[in-house]
Amino acid sequence: MNTQSLTIDAHEPGTPPGDLAIWFFIFAELLAFGVFFGSYAFARAHHVELFNQSQQLLNRASGAINALVLITSSYFVVRAVAAIKQGLSRQCANWLGAAIALGGVFIVIKLFEFHAKFSAGISLSTNTFYMFYLSLTIFHFMHVILGMVILAFVMAKARSGGYSIEHHTGVETGASYWHMVDLVWVILFPLVYVIR
Amino acid sequence: MSQAFTKSMARNIFFGGATFFFLLLVALSFDTMQVLPKRDHRENITDAVARGKAVWEKNDCIGCHTLLGEGAYYAPELGNVYKRRGGEFVKAWIKSRPAEGTPGDRRQMPQFNLTDQELDDMVAFLKWTGEINTNNWPPNIEG
Amino acid sequence: MQYKSQAVAKPYFIAAIGLFVGQILFGLIMGLQYVVGDFLFPAIPFNVARMVHTNLLIVWLLFGFMGAAYYMIPEESESELFSPKLALTMFWIFLVAGALTIVGYLTVPYAALAKMTFNDLWPTMGREFLEQPLITKLGIVVVALAFLFNISMTILKGRKTSISLVLLLGLWGLAVFFLFSFYNPSNLVLDKYFWWWTVHLWVEGVWELILGSLLAFVLIKVTGVDREIIEKWLYMIIAMTLITGIIGTGHHYYWIGTPEYWQWFGSVFSALEPIPFFMMTVFAFNMVNRRRREHPNKAATLWALGTGVMAFLGAGVWGFLHTLAPVNFFTHGTQITAAHGHMAFYGAYVMVVLTIISYAMPMLRGRAANSAKAQVMEMWAFWIMTVSIVFITLFLTAAGILQVWLQRVSTTPMGFMATQDQVALFYWLREITGVMFLVGLVVYIASFFVAGETKEAA
Repeated sequence: MNTQSLTIDAHEPGTPPGDLAIWFFIFAELLAFGVFFGSYAFARAHHVELFNQSQQLLNRASGAINALVLITSSYFVVRAVAAIKQGLSRQCANWLGAAIALGGVFIVIKLFEFHAKFSAGISLSTNTFYMFYLSLTIFHFMHVILGMVILAFVMAKARSGGYSIEHHTGVETGASYWHMVDLVWVILFPLVYVIR
Repeated sequence: MSQAFTKSMARNIFFGGATFFFLLLVALSFDTMQVLPKRDHRENITDAVARGKAVWEKNDCIGCHTLLGEGAYYAPELGNVYKRRGGEFVKAWIKSRPAEGTPGDRRQMPQFNLTDQELDDMVAFLKWTGEINTNNWPPNIEG
Repeated sequence: MQYKSQAVAKPYFIAAIGLFVGQILFGLIMGLQYVVGDFLFPAIPFNVARMVHTNLLIVWLLFGFMGAAYYMIPEESESELFSPKLALTMFWIFLVAGALTIVGYLTVPYAALAKMTFNDLWPTMGREFLEQPLITKLGIVVVALAFLFNISMTILKGRKTSISLVLLLGLWGLAVFFLFSFYNPSNLVLDKYFWWWTVHLWVEGVWELILGSLLAFVLIKVTGVDREIIEKWLYMIIAMTLITGIIGTGHHYYWIGTPEYWQWFGSVFSALEPIPFFMMTVFAFNMVNRRRREHPNKAATLWALGTGVMAFLGAGVWGFLHTLAPVNFFTHGTQITAAHGHMAFYGAYVMVVLTIISYAMPMLRGRAANSAKAQVMEMWAFWIMTVSIVFITLFLTAAGILQVWLQRVSTTPMGFMATQDQVALFYWLREITGVMFLVGLVVYIASFFVAGETKEAA
């Protein structure tokens, strides 16, 4: 938009990287997830046994693999930011592409997991644990998709040379969002799949 | 506030957020529609129940009473009135309201001149309503 | 006034205020019937008075929204209205249809009205707030479509601002979600589920877009703060509104037969619903503090600030009070709901309409602002009405807490009617404050007739 400020957007020390708005957004997102995690803990305290039993039935292997997948993709995004800071648009786009591909891997693994659960007749109304499990993972799943869309836009712009050493706020913005998506999973996975 | 925070970002958050959450509402509603038959016992909605709901609406009962807690707060909750009072009491009560009102300044219920058929339908509707799974609401029989 | 066609807003505003008076009078009748049960019985039973009270509220707010749109859009689009004639025609159609509906409520028994309007063919009547006969509902759709056509065409041919875009979105949403009022299955649970898609998605969804854009418009005008800043705030506020409010619909799905998980979704998201209202308060005060000009219309500024504060208190704080499922289990369908309803509607929607009227009416009458004397009077009206509504809310809250305690929490629960007798004192106090509110309203109307020196339109 033509409303972009005219200041140089390579960020000054002391301010967060990327567009400030994305940080508001990230904050709001973390708040929503935080409230949900809090509710989960609250509900768990009231139904410890039910939660323990149901947790046994989750596929911890696929959850752990997905954690590794997302952490790796976050690393790729870091490399993409590093690349654009040296003005290497091509490499930046490639690293982003790799991160998006890993996002796709996450999606596929998750779909298998959901498919198994839905085939077993599990739904939001099965019990309180599954209500949380499905809500939290699907909510996060949607965020992965949104994050991939954002990264795809950034990648397309990077590929066409839209970023430079001086102007690459867009890359940092997309990267920040992706790290948030990763971070939520890193909390969600142990909370819902492991801790009992 | 930082200059990097632009109006177009705010606008994108608005459109993205609104779309996202509306889709979430649609998805949750879809799930709700799958679960509802087990909770509302729709197999028990006979013609009498359906007609009873029409009687309920045509006389604007919701203008004074609550039904499952929704409506006006002027007169008692009727979602559980079948359990509280029984069908015969409900019919006798509706029938016996004096057209000119009861003496004294207690709250008045109009005489609706319902036919016996309509009274039976109304009771069928209230009975069915009382069997909906409302997560144990109201807290006690008084509604 | 910069554009001639803005003048069509004037009859809309006048009608809105007129119907507002009617709403308050019927509110007073109901308030008295709470304690003197046979007042006006059988001429006007409580359910009829309530229908008139709530329907008048909805209709006059709609008049206010439409008037606001007709006033704002030409200025925002920098272009005359697409068709002032259509706007005036729709005004009369809407007014006559509304008046006939109210007359119908008051003169024939509701069941007879239902029969006369062929409700049996397509039953939509007899549900809270949607009591209008089918023909009136169809009339509302026709008027809304003609109105939206008029506004949309004006925006299309002129400048497109964020304020007009948000207003347009809100108004289209209003029309679209009203369509759910035509869906009335014989399954009560389904009926209630989608009834809320009109009611909740109106007042905690699309109406807030309208509210936001009206407030933003007036703030730009009276503070002179840069449009970019105000519109950025507007987007952030309405983003939070919809992010929290859409799933917040769940707080109505706790006890009506819907699945248990709504207790979690409803509680989590509606607990966040005060945030956008808090942002609105901060926004209003921030903009006024950073003002770049001293607008002569002090009253309009006061209304704008009041909207922020009272919307936050009524919708935000009083909503939060009973929105969590474990609390709502006890408060659902009590006077607590009534308390919240009164302050939220006044704080958010009544006040924002009075804000735009306060700003626009002097312009429509050919001056930048009313005389100092008239403004002082208007500000008196502001304080009387606002303080009254605060006390009405407090008394109803007290009645509600007592009611919950006696009827639902106590180990020996009292029946409904016995409980009502116990809290009668608070209903009397509410009625007295209701009369105070009417006094405030009379002062408000009188302020339009105060002459005195006037400043020329800028």
